[in-house]
Amino acid sequence: MGFLNSYIYYIASFGLIFIGLYILVAKSNLIKMIIGLNIADSGVNLFLISIGYIKRGTAPIFSRPNLNPKLMVDPVPQALVLTAIVIGVAVLALALSFAVRLFQHYDTLDMRKIKEQRW
Amino acid sequence: MPDPVLLIAIPLGFAFLIPLLGFISRKIEKFVPPVAMAVNILLSIKLIPYVMKKPIVSSLGGFLHPFSINLYAGPVGLFFSLLISFVGFLVSLYAISYIKEGATQKYHMLFLLLLTGANGAALTADIFNLFVFSEILCISSYALVAYTGSKAGVESATKYLIQGSIGSAFFLIAIGLIYGQFGTLNMAEIAQHIHSVKPINIYLPIAMIISGIGVEAAIFPINAWLPDAHSSAPSTISAVLSGIAIKIGLYVILRFVFTIFGATNLLLILIITAIATVLVGEFSAFSQNNIKRMLAYSSTGQIGLILFAVSLGTSQGISAGFFQLITHTLSKSILFLSSGYMIVKAGSMDMENMIGMGKRMPVSSLSFTIGAFSLVGLPPFIGFPSKFLIVKAAIAKGDVLSIVLIILVLLGTVIEAAYFFRAVQTLYFKGDSSSIQRDEAPAIALIPLLLLIVSIIGIGVYPHFLTGFLNKVSSELLNRIAFIRGILG
Repeated sequence: MGFLNSYIYYIASFGLIFIGLYILVAKSNLIKMIIGLNIADSGVNLFLISIGYIKRGTAPIFSRPNLNPKLMVDPVPQALVLTAIVIGVAVLALALSFAVRLFQHYDTLDMRKIKEQRW
Repeated sequence: MPDPVLLIAIPLGFAFLIPLLGFISRKIEKFVPPVAMAVNILLSIKLIPYVMKKPIVSSLGGFLHPFSINLYAGPVGLFFSLLISFVGFLVSLYAISYIKEGATQKYHMLFLLLLTGANGAALTADIFNLFVFSEILCISSYALVAYTGSKAGVESATKYLIQGSIGSAFFLIAIGLIYGQFGTLNMAEIAQHIHSVKPINIYLPIAMIISGIGVEAAIFPINAWLPDAHSSAPSTISAVLSGIAIKIGLYVILRFVFTIFGATNLLLILIITAIATVLVGEFSAFSQNNIKRMLAYSSTGQIGLILFAVSLGTSQGISAGFFQLITHTLSKSILFLSSGYMIVKAGSMDMENMIGMGKRMPVSSLSFTIGAFSLVGLPPFIGFPSKFLIVKAAIAKGDVLSIVLIILVLLGTVIEAAYFFRAVQTLYFKGDSSSIQRDEAPAIALIPLLLLIVSIIGIGVYPHFLTGFLNKVSSELLNRIAFIRGILG
C-alpha cells in the first residue's frame, strides 16, 4: 500500500502509455489509432510532470513574500511538458488532416485495406 | 567571429519571411530558400578556421551556467552544417523549376523549416533542445512527404507519421528518465556525472533512445516507413530526406552512445543491427522495378554501412563512417534529383519506361550513372576512398568478428553493384534508341547536377582535403573529457 501510494503517478503514466500503444497495435481504424497516439502522448506528459513533483510542494511562484524555494516543486519539467503538449497538438492536427485526405482517396479508414504500397 | 546561432536563425527567419514576401509578389518565393542556404554556406565556411582551433560554445539568450541552453559548434556540428547547407542549396535550386503546382508557398516554408531543424539538432548541446529540433525536422518531413496529395503520398505520410510519433514518444520518456536521474538537461553535465550512478539505471533510457531515434535513423527493423515515404515524396524531398534527415537521426544515436554515455559495450548490438540493415536493404532493392523504391531501399543499405563503420568504435572507423556519410548524401542527392525529371518525362516510375533515356536526356542520365558508380565505389568517384577507408578500419581493428562482418558488408556491396549496373544498362544499352529526340530537363535543374558531379569527382580524386577534418570529427565524438571541459570550462 505504501508502494502504491508513493509511486501512483508513475504507475498511472506508464499505464496510459501502455494503453495508448495497445490501441495503436490492436485497432485498425485510423481515427482510433490517432486517439491511441494521443493517449500515449498524454501518458508521456504525465510521466514528465510527475518527475518534478515533491511531496507537499507548492507552485514555483513567489506568491507569498517569504516563500522558501525548498517548498516548491521543480519548474523545469513543467517547461518540458508545455513544449511537448504543443508538439502533440501539432502532430494531432496533421494526422487528422491526413485522415481526411485518405478518406477522400480510398473511401475507407480501415488501415488493413489501405495497402497499395507493398514490397 | 559570427555566432553559431545564426546558422539556425537564418533559415528560420527566411522561412517566416516567405509569406510576407508573398504579399509583394508570388514569384519570388521560390528564390528565398537558395538565398538562405547560400548565406548559411558562407557563414559555415567563415566559421571553419575558428572551429578547427577550438570549438565555439555559445549560450542561447545569454544566460549563464547552469541555467543556459548551450550550442556547441565543434567539428561535428560544423560538418553537418556545411553538408546540410550545401545539399539544401542545390536541392532548392532544382526545386525552382520542379515544384510548380499545389501549395508552393507552403512547400518552400516547410523546406526551410526542415533545414532549420536539421541544423539545430546538429549544433545543440542540450538534450531537450535536441528533442525540439528533431521534432521540427520530423513534422516538416511528414507534411512534405504528403505534399502532392496523391494516393501514395498521403498513405506513406500517414504511416511515417504514426511510426515517427511513437519513436519521439519513446525519446521523450528517455529524456524524462535521464532528467530524473541526473537533475540536468545539459549534455556535458550528464557526461560528467555518468559514472556516479549504477549502470542499471541507464539501461532503460539508452534502450529507449536507440529504439526511439532509430525510427528516424532508419535502422532495421524500424525502417518500414522509409521505402514508402522516400518513393512517394516529390524527388527534391526524397533527396533531402535520404541525404539529411536520416543522417541527423544517426548523429543523435552517436552523440548519445559515444559522448554522453560512453557506452562502448553497446557497440556489439549496434554492429549486428547494422549488418541486418545492410543485407535486408540491399536484397530488397535488388528485386524492385520502381526506380525510386530501389533508391529508397538502397538508402537503408547505406545507413547500415555507415552505422557499421562507426560501430567499430575506433577513431579510424568513425572517420570512415563520416566519409561514407558525405558520399551517400552527395550520391543519393544526385540520383534522386536526376531521376526526378526522368520520371516526369517518362510518365511513370517503372524501370521499363527508362529505356532509351541515355539518348533522350543525356545530362540527367550521365548524372545518374555517376551517382550510381560513386555509390558502388568505383574510382575516381568519392565512393572509392570512403569504402576503402571502411574496409581498412575494419581490418585494422583486428578481431575475427570484424573480419566476418566486413565480408558480409562486401556481399551487400556486390548486390548493390548488381542492381545499379542493371539500372545503368536500362538507361543506355537496352532497346532501339535510333529514333529518339533530345528532351532534356530545364537548364536551372541541370546546374545542381553539374555542381554535384564536380564535387563527387573532385573529392574522389583528392580525398586528402577531408581526412584532417574527419579525424577531428571522430576525436570530438570519442574524446568525452575535451567535450565536457569545453562546455563547462
